[in-house]
This record gives sequence, C-alpha cells and structure tokens, in this order.
Amino acid sequence: MKFFIKILLPTLVILTTLSSCEGKRKTLVEIGNEKQILHVGNGDEISSVDPHTTSGMPEYHVILSLYEGLVSKNTKTLAIEPGVAESWDISEDGLVYTFHIRENARWSNGDKLVANDFVQSWLRGLMPALANEYASSMYVVKNGQNINEGKADPKDFGAVALDDQTLQITLNAPTPYFLQLLDHHSTYPVHIPTIKKFGKLDERGTKWTRPENFVGNGAFVLSEWTPNKYLSVKKSPTYWDAKSVRLNEVRYYPINKYTTEERMFRSGQLHATYYLPREKLAVYKNANNPVLRSYPNFATYFYRFNVTVKPLDDVRVRKALAYSIDRKRIVEFVTKFGQIPAYTLTPPDENGYVANAKMPYDVELAKKLLAEAGYPNGVGFPKLTVAFNANDEHQHIAEAVQQMWKDNLGIDIALASTEWKVYLDNEKQLNYQIDRASWIGDYLDPNTFLEMFVTNNGNNRTGFSDARYDELIAKAALESNQEKRFAYFQEAEQILADSAPILPFYTYIWNRLIATSVKGWDDNVQDYYPFKNMYLENQ
Amino acid sequence: MYIFILKRILQSIPVLLAVSLFTFIMVRSAPGGPFDQDRNVPPAVIKNLNAHYHLDDPLWKQYVDYIMNLLHGDFGPSFKFQSHNVNDLILAGFPPTLELAFYATLFALVVGLTAGITASLKPNSLQDYVPMSSAMLGICLPSFVLGPLLLLIFGSWLQWLPVAGWGQIPGDKILPSITLGASYAAYIARISRGGMLEVLSQDYIRTARAKGLSPIRIVFVHALRGGITPVISFLGPAIAGLLAGSFVVETIFQIPGLGRFYVQAAFNRDYTMIMGCTIFFAFVIIVFNLLSDIILVYLNPKLRQQVSRGH
Amino acid sequence: MQSELLSSPNLEQGVSLSQDALRRLRKNKMAIAGLFVLIFLIVIALLTPWIAPYSYDGQDLALGVTSPSQQHWLGTDALGRDQLTRVMYGSRVSLAVGFIATAVALLIGVLWGATAGFLGGRADAIMMRIVDVLYALPFTIFIILLTVIFGSSMLLLFLAIGAVEWLTMARIVRGQVLTIKRQEFVEAAVSMGFSPWQIISRHLIPNVLGPIIVYTTLTIPSVILLESFLSFLGLGIQPPQSSWGSLISAGVETMEEFPWLLIFPGLTLSITLFSLNFLGDGLRDALDPRSAKD
Repeated sequence: MKFFIKILLPTLVILTTLSSCEGKRKTLVEIGNEKQILHVGNGDEISSVDPHTTSGMPEYHVILSLYEGLVSKNTKTLAIEPGVAESWDISEDGLVYTFHIRENARWSNGDKLVANDFVQSWLRGLMPALANEYASSMYVVKNGQNINEGKADPKDFGAVALDDQTLQITLNAPTPYFLQLLDHHSTYPVHIPTIKKFGKLDERGTKWTRPENFVGNGAFVLSEWTPNKYLSVKKSPTYWDAKSVRLNEVRYYPINKYTTEERMFRSGQLHATYYLPREKLAVYKNANNPVLRSYPNFATYFYRFNVTVKPLDDVRVRKALAYSIDRKRIVEFVTKFGQIPAYTLTPPDENGYVANAKMPYDVELAKKLLAEAGYPNGVGFPKLTVAFNANDEHQHIAEAVQQMWKDNLGIDIALASTEWKVYLDNEKQLNYQIDRASWIGDYLDPNTFLEMFVTNNGNNRTGFSDARYDELIAKAALESNQEKRFAYFQEAEQILADSAPILPFYTYIWNRLIATSVKGWDDNVQDYYPFKNMYLENQ
Repeated sequence: MYIFILKRILQSIPVLLAVSLFTFIMVRSAPGGPFDQDRNVPPAVIKNLNAHYHLDDPLWKQYVDYIMNLLHGDFGPSFKFQSHNVNDLILAGFPPTLELAFYATLFALVVGLTAGITASLKPNSLQDYVPMSSAMLGICLPSFVLGPLLLLIFGSWLQWLPVAGWGQIPGDKILPSITLGASYAAYIARISRGGMLEVLSQDYIRTARAKGLSPIRIVFVHALRGGITPVISFLGPAIAGLLAGSFVVETIFQIPGLGRFYVQAAFNRDYTMIMGCTIFFAFVIIVFNLLSDIILVYLNPKLRQQVSRGH
Repeated sequence: MQSELLSSPNLEQGVSLSQDALRRLRKNKMAIAGLFVLIFLIVIALLTPWIAPYSYDGQDLALGVTSPSQQHWLGTDALGRDQLTRVMYGSRVSLAVGFIATAVALLIGVLWGATAGFLGGRADAIMMRIVDVLYALPFTIFIILLTVIFGSSMLLLFLAIGAVEWLTMARIVRGQVLTIKRQEFVEAAVSMGFSPWQIISRHLIPNVLGPIIVYTTLTIPSVILLESFLSFLGLGIQPPQSSWGSLISAGVETMEEFPWLLIFPGLTLSITLFSLNFLGDGLRDALDPRSAKD
C-alpha cells in the first residue's frame, strides 16, 4: 500500500497538474486562423501527386491545389470558367477548339507556361508504358486512343500548339462535355523538363514528385510530405492569380478512421473533415450546428445483378427484387445520413439533366412478377448471396434488404462481407450473384453513368446487353444539341429501369464539418473545393 | 559470450529467409492484386503496370530478384505509394513506432513493477488484491476500447490532452503510450508478483528476515533480481506483440507509425511493403529477443556458465 | 499436542496430488467465484436458443437505437435489434471461439512439444526452429493475411487463431517434458522396459498436465480478445451473427451517444476474462507442488 501511495499517486497528481496547466494553450485551428494555415482531413493517404498515374478522390483534392487546367469551374454553379486559358473559340461543327493561353501563366519555378506544355503533357499521359488509368479522357481528341495503343505516331495527335499562346484541339466527334472534361485532373499539365530530370517520361514513381523537386502550375506548391502524417502545400508566388490567393498554407491530414477525425475537429485540430460518422450526424443536425454542411453528390449507390446466372437472367425476377425495396425506409432508418432515394442510375443535376424514368416501389407487382417467373410466394427460389466490401453501412443496408425480401417476397438470401480486393476481383470475373456498387461521375454529364452499361464496357460487370441501349448511347456521343442528347439519355435510362440489371438505392450525400472561420467553401454536387478561393477569418 | 552472440546472429539468417519465403507465398496466394480498382482499368494498362513491377515474371524469379535486392539493402518500390519506396516508408514509419513502444514499455514497467512488487509483499491481502485486480483490468480491456475511453475522458470531456497526432502538440504522446502499455503493465504486474513470491519464499530470504535486515533492503538487494528476471524474459517476446499491437493505437491516435503502414499494405496488396515490413519486424524481434537473452545471461550466473561452455 | 498429531486421520490416509490440488483450489475464493461465473455463463450460452427474449436478427428499423427499457433490458441497436439477445448469442460465439480455438492450439501444441521434447536431439532442434520461425512473424499480420485469403468463416477463425496460439503451448510443453525426462522416475520406467508411447502417455503427460491446464485457462481469454481485435478490423464474425468482439467494436464507434451499446457487451467480456484469469491463477497456485510448503 505504501509503495502505491508513495509513488503512483504523486505521479498521477503531477501529470494532471501539468496537463491542466496547458489549458490556455492555443489550438491548431486558432493558430491557423491567425496565420492563414488551413488544416483539412483528406481520407486515405495518397499514392502520388502525378495526375497521370493516380485516380482516387484524396489524390484529386491535393492535385487540385498543385495544378491548374485549361479551364476551371464556378464553385457554386459548376459552370465552366477560364483557367490557364483566358478564352476559347469553338468551331461551328464542334470539332475544333482553340484556346488562348494567358500571357502571365507561369510554372512554380518561374518558367513561362505555353500552349505546347499542354500538348507535351497530354502526349506523356498517352504513353502506353506509363499505364495511365485515365488515358481514356484524351480519347475524344483525334488519334488519342491510337497513340495510347501504340498504333499512331505522337506527331498525329489532334492537339497542336499554333504558337506559345494558342492551343488548337481537333476532336473525333463533337463532344458536348469536352469543356467539363478539361477540368478533370488527368488533363492538367505537368512540367516535362522536371520529369525528364529524374527518369524517363513514361517511368512511374520517379522522384520528381518529391517536395524538393516538384514543379507545378497551381495556386500552391508542394512543400512537405510525410506519409501518414500530413502533406503540406504552400502558396505559390508565381501563380498568375497569386494576389487572389489568401491562404498561406494548407495541410492535408490522411485520416481514415472517421471517428478519430471528428474528435480532432471537435478539439480544434482540424478546420474541416473529409467525412462524418453517421452517428454524429443526428447530434449536429439536431443542434442546428452551422459547422455541418450537407449537400448531394453526383454519385449513386446501387446493387448489380449478375444477369448471366439463374434465376437472375429472368427480367421478371430482377424486377421483382427491385420493386420490393422500400428505399425511403432504408434512407430514413438504416443509413440515416440524409441521402436521397434514387430510382434511376444517374443522379439529378439541378442545373442540367434530371432523369424521369421510374422504378416503382410496388410490392404487389413484385409478388406477381415473381409468381409469373415460377416462384409464387418465393417457394423454390434459390438462396442467392449479396456480396459487399466489409463496411458497416453496406452491412446494415444488406441486412435491411435481406429482411425486406423475406417479408415482401418470402425469399431467403445470404450475406457475404468480403475484403475489398477480393470483392473487386469477384465482381470483375462475374463471380457473384448480387453485389453492392457505387459510381461517382467523372464529369458533370449523364454519359459518365450511362455509358457503363453499354455491352462489354469494362465497368458494366453485369453481363447486361441491349442493342437499342448501345445505339442510344452511341447516338448521344455524336449529338451536339443538348436537348436531343438528353432525350436519348432519358430513353436509355428507361431501358435500364425496365430491364433492371441494377437496383439503385440512393444519391450520395456529402456530410462534412467545416469550422465557421473558413470562408469561401461552397457546396456543389461534384464536391469541388479548390482552396485558392478560400481564406480564414481570425475569430 | 561473443561466440554465443555470433552463433545466434548466424542462426537468425535462415530464420529470416524462411520468414521471407513464407510471407511471399502467403501474400501471393491472396486473391485480388495491387491494381484492382472499383473503376475499370483497361487491360493494356494492367499489362503495363504488371510489366513495370515485374509481376509477370515467374513467381520463383520474382522471389529470387527480391532476395538479391534485399542483400543490397533495397526493399523495392511500394506498389501503392508511387513516390516513396519501401526503404523510405520503413525509415519514416519505424521511429514513431519504436518511440511509442518505448514509452509504452516504460509505462508498463513503472506501473507493472510497482503494482506487482507491492502486491507480492503482502500476499492475499488488500494490498495484493487491489493492484492485481486493476492489473486484470488492463488485460481484459482491449486497446481499441481503452483508447477511445481515455480519449473521451481526457480528450473530449476534460480537454486536458490532445486527441491525435504524435509530436505535433505537447502531450500527445501520453494517451497512446498508456493505451498500448496498459495490458503489458498488467502482465508485468502478474509476472513480477509471481517471481517475487517465488523468491521471497526461498530460505535465504527467511534467513535475512530472521537476521533482522530491513524489508526494503531485502526487497531491493536480494529479491528484486529474482523478481525481475521473469519480466525480462517476458519482454523479449512481448516486443513482438507491442510492435504489432501498435497498429490499433496508431489508427486511433493518428500516429504515422509502421504498424499502420503494415496493415494498410495488407489491405492494399502492396506486396513489397508487406514483405519489407514483415522481414524488418522479424529482424527487430530477433534483435530484441537476443538482447533480452543477453541480459538474462548476465543476470543469472548459472546461465553464464552454460553459455561460456558453448551451449 | 504430540498425541493429537499422531492420531490425526490425515496421517493414515495418503493424499493424492489431485486431491491436494482440489483442496487448495477450494480455499481460493476468487478462483471459485470465477468458476461459478463461468459455469453460469456457459449454461446461459447453451440455453440461449430457448431462453432468449427475441431473435438475434429481428430488425425493427423504425425503432432504431433505444436505451434500456422494460421491453428491452439492454436496449436496442441501430437496426432495432434487442441487445440482450445479441449479447446472449454473442456469448455462444465468443465462448465457442475461445474453447474450440484453444482446443486446437492445445492439440497441436501438446503433440508437437511433447514429441520434440521426448525425441530430443536433431528432431527436437528442427521442430523448435520451425516454432521460432513462426514466432518471428508478427502474428497479427499472419491472421489478417489468413482471413483475407480464405475469407472469415467461423471454422477458419478457429483454425487461424489456434494456429497462432499453439506455438507458446508447444514451447511450454517441450520445456516441461525436457525437465521431467531427466528425472529419476522416467529413467526407472525406461529401464523397466516401457514402450515410448506408454512412457509418454502414462508418465510424461500426466506430469506436464499442470502447466498445460493453467496455460489453457489463460489462453482462452487471449483468444477471445484476439477475435474481438479481428472484429475491430472487420475480419471477425460476420453479421447478422454477433460476438462480443463485434458488438464491442460497433459500440465503441457510438460510445458517446449510446454508451450502453458498449457497456453491456464490454462488461460481459470483462467479467468472463476476469473469471477465466482468476480460475487460471487459482489452478496454477493449486497445482504448483512447491506451494505445498505450507
């Protein structure tokens, strides 16, 4: 006892007194507000800052600070605005775009940024050995695909620098969403001389992306990068619009445990979180806390049906399964994240396309269809498996679905929580019956969703094939009249609803916490938040 | 003594090789590869990726190449982190993990030894039950419960300590070290109590007591050596658990340590990272086991004789 | 005094080792308490399918999370499932994992260690080298890789965890066997012509039984903890089944808002672990011949 009292107790007392002395210590957020340093959560640790070898969202948010494309977007309406290019002309037939590059556009090492930089960057992105997963974004440009497949010479590329300030691009077909595409990170320019200094142009993972070597053209430069700790970018003095950039530094923290992130936000270690754990949403909502920001995302959560296996090859079975799910209940009671029930694949864009197709919630109809298919009241229906990657939410939704199908149709299904890589593998091999999926639109146009289910498209992964559907998507790709395009898409969407190779559940909602001292962070469906427009108010 | 050490070092080389082979086979048997993504990747791209990382070579050749590079100290590129290779990542991740393990061990030793020794002095009394039951708590509460609990109390409610980070805000090393060290403190308490009890019941201790030596002298001069020995032999292997268990603590407290990298690598199928970390950890464990054995030999005259005889 | 001693009945009857141990065990109140708690939990676990108030996967989406009440003694979780039922079913899973995985470890470890210790020499060296190699693998990763490769069925979980725990068991058994091998009664048996198998089964194993029993009771809690750790990573028991580990990791996430979702499974786990540890300690103290000094 004496030992206990003599040693442990005094230690505890000293420790606690010391720590409580720290009570007046300033939090990271407060210091940041004074010095214009922004601390944000950024999900998983990123793999690289090379726009030609990355494809994840966390990478995208960092790349957005380090580079700038020909165009950029308005953060409220997502309308296209000038970026590196201050203006552009489009030919009558929609095949030729001519961009006028700013005179004062510079790289972070002071070099002048010229039109040819774009041409050379895109050619680099198309080099086969580089294995750029987004090489396809340049396929709309003449010979882009051929060069990427080694079938054409770079000389024949459809993008040409007429002079230092003029860039001319020839497309294969009029592509109405081309300008949208030009704000995709895979089309940002990279500094070719720097890349060449550290290895071959098409060599992956060379040291050019290290902070000490990095050169970019964005509002910020790469300043510090310790994996799993944080990545820091500092204001670039050579950026053409540097005078509008008010933040001095942004620190991205790779936090993948969202409960930890929320804790950090609450104790003043972060200005903004990347996400929000579900259980905390109710707390912030009920308190009407202004730090909570919720806005729909251009992304859909859905289930895929493998139409090549019995009994899912029968469209009546698929429809029965799809029509007997009460999405409203799931969104309200299961996910509880404020998502919007979805009855179509493409999420609504208030400023553009809103799908009209309907996939009804009709239990009577579902029962009838199931009986017609030969399984009245679910008798004789095989025990199918719903697979999903291990995750609480997928778990709960699947359990609710399991219950609904049991109650409404009388069928039993099994659930399989699979590890991420295994799940992806199975999906690609069509080694599943029903599995969970989601899709985030690459650019703001329904094509990015609907082209997935064209026959044999790499992202189809259901075995679904419909000639009329393929025809409609192909027609829309060649049509420059937006109204006519959307009409094609609407018809295609209805085919999807009628054939039900997928079961849409909801449109994603993005919920995050943003401190009130952060100004200039607007909400939009593409979760587009460039830091160059923001500043911190010293409160 | 030196021959003993040399022998152990030589013996550990085939062990490391076996570890590497075993891990290689296990890792490559897992379905799913490093480049599988939700979004479809064109087959040509996959082909090029595989070529770049030599994944299309026959398996045995990949293994041999890997070992050859290893002998030059090159752990290879990371499949997931393109701008950093495995050497960089291990060099960056190991110091925080080592520091965390160190502080956790320090905490475990201080608290554990105090509790265990105090308990052993008056067995089956309150002085015994209270510390030992608290120690039991350390064993029965998993770190992923203890951590968030401590965070709730000291981070959110009392706001005394930071909630995440390592070395960024003063005081952020306290809670993670306690969380990781708690269960080890419990084991050390039990082991030292057991060791002390055994020593204290020896005849020579009874003699010392009979002779009238003060209890403190008895404990510190005579008994402690015997009580600490089992703790040291526990520590060697315990380091393996500490390093591996650091993953949970590193995730909860956002510590940029090697444990976190390691498990991420397993989920990402980052082959080289998994191999590199496994071999590195195995190496560290072997070193610590050796150190612990050396200390044991030093403390125990009987073992010293055996060792010098070339056992 | 003297005459009392001489006429004491104990002097006449010999006391066997196990009787002596049992007597000492009975004196240890904490160990007995632990034993009773364990028996109680095991009985509840076995009777669960008949006595549980609800079904373990009966959802009530509209209900959601509720705090403990008349209808739901331990409250309900996010899908409206009764927590008491889930904790009861969870105990079946956790206890099963604990006992079966330990049994697997026991089986492999005892056979391996006894054989190595008995054979000695080259065979012993090789067998223990293999143990060393496996020991050097940070076992957490080993288990993660195993569950990642082969999925996480209950059976696999038993095997995987057992496959990791047998190492220490083997070492302990081998150590004991080596010590006993040198003792005189074994030499006597050998000289009397008993076959190796008879020696192992009749002489060696009964004498190493002590540490084995103790270590077994102490392995079970660490196995149960290991399963909860896997659940934390999302690799343990798959829903809708629950184990204490999965209930606890789910409860930790909402610790602040709904503490009872964590407290009840956590308490149950802790009590079980406490009981097992106290029992194990008691057994160790009871079976240790050296404490016969008093």
